[in-house]
Amino acid sequence: MAAPERGRMVIKAASITAQNKGIDTGMVVADCRAILPELKVFDDEPGQMVPLLNAIGEWCLRYTPIVAIDLPEGLILDVSGCTHLWGGEKEYLKDILNRLRTFGYDIRASIADTIGAAWAVSRFGQVSPIIEPGNHIAALLQLPAAALRLDAAILTRLDKLGLYQINSFIKMPRTALRRRFGQELLNRLDQATGQGIEILEPIQPVLPYQERLPSLEPIRTAPGIEIALRRLLEVLCNRLSKEGKGLRKGIFKGYRIDGHLEQIEIGTNKASNNIEHLFSLFKLKIETITPALGIELFILEAPLVEEVPAEQESLWNISGSGDETAIAELLDRIAGKVGSETIHRYLPAEHYWPERSIKIASSLQEKPLIDWRVDQRRPVNLLRKPEEIEVSVPLPDYPPLLFRYKGILHQIKKADGPERIEQEWWLQQGLHRDYYQVEDEYGVRYWLFRSGHYNDEETKWFIHGFFA
Amino acid sequence: MSYTELQVTTNFTFLRGGSHPEEMIERAAGLGHRKIAITDRNTLAGIVRAHVAAKKLNMQIIPSCRLDLLDGPSLLAYPTSRDAYSRLSGLLTEGNIRTEKGKCELYKADVYRYAAGIKFILIPPETLNIHFDFEPEFKAALQEYRNALGTELYLGAIRSYQGDDSKRLFRLNELSIQYDVPMIATNDIHYHERERRELQDILTCIREKCTIYNAGFRLHQNAERYLKPITEMQRLFRLYPDAIARTQEIADACRFSLDSLEYVYPKEITSEGRTPQQELVLLTWQGAQERFGENVPERIKEAIIEELTFMERKNYASYFLTVYDIVRFGRSRNILCQGRGSAANSVVCYCLGVTSVDPTKFKLLFARFMSDARDEPPDIDVDFEHERREEVMQYIYNKYGRDRAGIVATVTQVHWKGAIRDVGKAMGLSVDALDKLSKSGYELTPEWLEGLTGSSEGFDPKDPHLIKTLQLTQQYIGFPRQLGQHTGGFVITRGKLSDLCPILNARMENRTNIEWNKDDIEALGFLKVDVLALGMLTCIRKAFDLAKAHYGLDLTLAKINEKDDPKVYEMISHADTLGVFQIESRAQMSMLPRLRPNKFYDLVIEVAIVRPGPIQGDMVHPYLRRRNGEEPVEYPSEELKGILGRTLGVPLFQEQAMEIAIVGAGFTPAEADGLRRSMATFKAKGLVTQYEKKLVDGMMAKGYKEEYARRVFKQLEGFGSYGFPESHAASFALLVYVSCWLKCYYPDVFAAALLNSMPMGFYQPAQIVIDAKKHGVQINPIDINYSAWDNLLEGKNEKYCALRLGFRQIKGLKEEEMQTLVSARGKGYSSIPSLMEAGISLTALERLADGDAFRSIGMDRRKALWEVSALADRPIGMFEGQTAHSPEESEIQLPEMSLSEHVVQDYSSTALSLKAHPVSFVREKLQMLRVTPLASLAHCTDGIPIKVAGLVLVRQRPGTASGVCFITIEDETGFANLVVFGKLFDKFRKEINRSRLLMVEGKVQREGEVIHVVVRHCHDLSPLLRDMTQSDQEQTALITSSRADEKDTDNYQNKDHRVKQPKAVQVELFPGGRNFK
Repeated sequence: MAAPERGRMVIKAASITAQNKGIDTGMVVADCRAILPELKVFDDEPGQMVPLLNAIGEWCLRYTPIVAIDLPEGLILDVSGCTHLWGGEKEYLKDILNRLRTFGYDIRASIADTIGAAWAVSRFGQVSPIIEPGNHIAALLQLPAAALRLDAAILTRLDKLGLYQINSFIKMPRTALRRRFGQELLNRLDQATGQGIEILEPIQPVLPYQERLPSLEPIRTAPGIEIALRRLLEVLCNRLSKEGKGLRKGIFKGYRIDGHLEQIEIGTNKASNNIEHLFSLFKLKIETITPALGIELFILEAPLVEEVPAEQESLWNISGSGDETAIAELLDRIAGKVGSETIHRYLPAEHYWPERSIKIASSLQEKPLIDWRVDQRRPVNLLRKPEEIEVSVPLPDYPPLLFRYKGILHQIKKADGPERIEQEWWLQQGLHRDYYQVEDEYGVRYWLFRSGHYNDEETKWFIHGFFA
Repeated sequence: MSYTELQVTTNFTFLRGGSHPEEMIERAAGLGHRKIAITDRNTLAGIVRAHVAAKKLNMQIIPSCRLDLLDGPSLLAYPTSRDAYSRLSGLLTEGNIRTEKGKCELYKADVYRYAAGIKFILIPPETLNIHFDFEPEFKAALQEYRNALGTELYLGAIRSYQGDDSKRLFRLNELSIQYDVPMIATNDIHYHERERRELQDILTCIREKCTIYNAGFRLHQNAERYLKPITEMQRLFRLYPDAIARTQEIADACRFSLDSLEYVYPKEITSEGRTPQQELVLLTWQGAQERFGENVPERIKEAIIEELTFMERKNYASYFLTVYDIVRFGRSRNILCQGRGSAANSVVCYCLGVTSVDPTKFKLLFARFMSDARDEPPDIDVDFEHERREEVMQYIYNKYGRDRAGIVATVTQVHWKGAIRDVGKAMGLSVDALDKLSKSGYELTPEWLEGLTGSSEGFDPKDPHLIKTLQLTQQYIGFPRQLGQHTGGFVITRGKLSDLCPILNARMENRTNIEWNKDDIEALGFLKVDVLALGMLTCIRKAFDLAKAHYGLDLTLAKINEKDDPKVYEMISHADTLGVFQIESRAQMSMLPRLRPNKFYDLVIEVAIVRPGPIQGDMVHPYLRRRNGEEPVEYPSEELKGILGRTLGVPLFQEQAMEIAIVGAGFTPAEADGLRRSMATFKAKGLVTQYEKKLVDGMMAKGYKEEYARRVFKQLEGFGSYGFPESHAASFALLVYVSCWLKCYYPDVFAAALLNSMPMGFYQPAQIVIDAKKHGVQINPIDINYSAWDNLLEGKNEKYCALRLGFRQIKGLKEEEMQTLVSARGKGYSSIPSLMEAGISLTALERLADGDAFRSIGMDRRKALWEVSALADRPIGMFEGQTAHSPEESEIQLPEMSLSEHVVQDYSSTALSLKAHPVSFVREKLQMLRVTPLASLAHCTDGIPIKVAGLVLVRQRPGTASGVCFITIEDETGFANLVVFGKLFDKFRKEINRSRLLMVEGKVQREGEVIHVVVRHCHDLSPLLRDMTQSDQEQTALITSSRADEKDTDNYQNKDHRVKQPKAVQVELFPGGRNFK
């Protein structure tokens, strides 16, 4: 991993394999490449560590309820009262290390009386990772000053004065130390020895969006299932709306007493926590549930949850047609009946090539990144694939006089063009197109083009769309 | 009815135009155009190139430009006369000067003021609005322009297949009638042929900082902006034939050609109403009497008369007077300067004091450099002390005024690395792939494309995306990227400079330069004077000052150079040249004992011989053999004897190679010059073989051996980029001699001057100090009570003065603060708080402690730092002056610092140590490894196996040495040069690149005094250095590598001989050859 630093790419972290080949943090990438040409370098994005540490921290919750993140590369676990469950500190630590190492992480850890001492030993200790209660100060003495979590400036100064190890200055008068190195050194010393307090900020795990409803008696009727669904929806939507979230995908599961699992799924075009709407979506599918002997447990899950746009929070919505929520809910209902893949919404895309100039929107909220172009006329109905036509056309670049499409002959009365559109050479090679807007004797307008230059030997003509 | 293209954007509109001006002209000529306008945006930078290209093809260009205004639609401007051209240039100058470099801010009002005699075309918006009409704003602008510019205004119309072309033309025609502004056809050319559209798209991406995939509508919709045949243009505008006809109206009106620009020398260079020639004659004879006394020798007289008549014939008097004026200023301010270049080594220049190379002693003939046949303008570069050159430049600006003097531009071109980076990024390649590509340039050869060779990064020659990227990169290489400022080439004119060419602000404060580069101004016959900076002159000036203060000597360059001193040559022959000018590099040092120079001309040869040109042409070894009498001196023919006599039959100088082409192969002087000049150009276009054939055939026809002819050609090739003309070598040799003389007689003065001129040269302060010690100079450490900012010389105790190191050696100190320290010193400081009271900041005190500068008050660095760090809350007010000790602190005992720790800290603070050499601390361990001290190398016989170790000073892989790496290492006893051959280098790449302490096993190679160790095995012993302190860290402080070190491999690979470095269309003539510091 490397990140730019004063105009050069500097290594921020290196794998063990790389370290064995002489690559280390702080080196310049160009130098490293000289040593190891096959080195793979990834961009180190700031903040990347936080989610990773968070995830590992959450995983660690199985060992203790109190886990805190210690940026940039550490986790602090309060293990008080937990280790005996694993059969002692040694086994406890071994278990954590072994498991994390199996995942592929390179881990060092230590258990000690104070956060400071554990921090120091886990990074600089060379004897034992487990410091017996009361021994932490002795363990610190031989460690370098850097083990105290100090600023680089203080460390350089300590180094210059020859105070390399903690024991060389730990007994100095506090006033002498404070005058020269400031309060920070004393604070860190205290934290390591246990004379100072250090407060942990434990991480809070996110609970999955899932609600359970066991039934006293097996449920076998549709109204019964509906009641269960409604109850679950109430609880879930309540929580969602408190957190400002909405559901995009929902799964309703029923565990039958014969062990069989029945489930129905819904999706929405727009994140929603509207109980009635979601209920109506599920309701369309409830008839597919076969309760057989009865369902004893209902679970409602929301595997896909999104922030609900703030505008929805207005108390009432007066505008009729512009009510996005209403449209979204209508669409959800239609899609629930005919299948979501039959409904498309198109947005303009920044391409000249007509086939690529539109794209399918992924959701109802997706805003077009650019405006629809108005300076160039485009047909209302664009054929997905241009269809070849027969034409009679005068040279060089006049519009056709007539063309035959699907067996019908069209006399061209009016025409405009040509508009020349080149291939997007980075995507595809081929001939350019000369487009014409033409109008036939009935006033119907078409979008035709010639593929290739007019004096090329083989040019073909196509129809690509219909104007309104 | 003909048509003239009036809207042409070349690549001098950076990142818009997709073709070189030359390409545009060639294509236009091919299509039968007779005249073409070049209209780059707010610049005239490309027109000279177009003009030169057009002249060759019997075409004409209309010098013009596109004016992008801040408050209105753009206009194309076509000056119809010389005066109008000057106004246009003045308009651009005004726009340039009022803003920062690279921008031009113009307003409508400016245009109106300068509009006389200029014809304009208004460029309408590219699209119509929703009502198929132009916006009212545009119509208003049209009306306003019509009112202001009258009938000189036209309305431009293009047909670029946008679909609504007919509607647009219809609307434009309407407007043209309504506002009485005639419509005129253009084609908005961006590239000479439609295939360039891809590159133009890429340029758009680079400009807009996007990739081709998300560039979208920022690209053009089609490829119609190419040069079209006249008939096609007539067809496209068949409904508006008048629009075509009017292009002729403008073309016919614009009769101004760049040829009619006339360069006139400034008036100020003559006095008392004399003509320049009279003035020059007067000054020359005055100078001759000063130099040679009342009786000027007859030979000199003849030479002067001959030169003066020549100068009169060529009308060069003004040029020499201009140079003389600048040199005179330098002299009057005591700024050391020296001229060089083809005309500098003339007797006239010697008399004028431009150069100190004595023409009587050194038989350089003026005629050799200047002749009627070679129609070259004279060329004199004047080097000044690098610290004071700015004074000279400001003098020129002040004397002639900013409107009459300007620095020539350099057009920076896109090279492989930049090109692949920009193009690759636009093509959406990842940063990682770009890194790999940019350094793999030399591998991606035609052989690679055919799949014959692989590449180390595993690039696939069948990957179409990669191939496309590489193709576009090839096209992009050589494009102008920005207008920089030439290192010191001045153009000075009589009238306003902006009448000739737009002026713009340079990046540096107080500098202005013109838009044209030196080839451009040369093509138009403007003359320039180069005012360059040379570090060694600063050093020599400082040495002269010190010599005056401590030895009472009054030295000048000419005085030292009066006679050849055998003692100095003796020193040079032993390669004892660390720190001197030019001949201090490893390559030079190993050449010196073989060459054993004993007269001035030998130094000239020495300077020229260790250059890529002679090395590539394989001229070095024959010369050495002949000089040492191991090979007979013979000449390929009698006619070449005259040319090659002074270099024992081996061509070493640029002029000689050219003369061989003329005499031996029957080239005309102009052809020979063209050959040298355009060597780089032809490389790119594959025409190099044609020239080679011409030369080889010509020489063989005259009876030379083919092998010899090929060798001459090869050398010529090398000279194309790295040649050293004899006249330059002579001027440099003079400085070589002066610096050697100083080092030989006053090593104390020389070392102090050198240290005070840092950074310069090849070596670090540590080596300079060690070398001075070796020569018997006592070095005293930096101390708060004795040192000044600069390094000082102290009372003479033995042979030489002692050198007191100055505060400038300590990292992170500021000069003003140390001046305060020195001026408040009085009888000396006795405690740290007294320094504090003198106004020295805490950080500075800490730095001084780091530099161990408190010894005179009995504190070592650790103790001093302990005291300093407690000063933050020192007693103030009535307690001022008392020590900061609080009683309970006195007991504190800091750990004692070992000598090796001190050395490490010395290096980290001052990059040198007087206490001991770092390697001496690991000597015991090295002995156990059976490592020989470097000093013992001198007693080793040739061929014995040996193990040596030392700190790495320099690693070099010169392009001329086919992958061989040269390393210099140093231990407490001396230096050694290591040679690592290509394959071993790859094997030990890591050790060589990473080691601070390097141990090698190898074989001694001895040739007289020149000793190398040929490496077989490398070991990184840097971890040993860790033991020098108790701390666990590696000793980064002990990095001793010199400025010439080439650790980063990116560099080597481009210098690799395999590199087919694509050369651009116009390159600098001697990059690297001139502006030596």
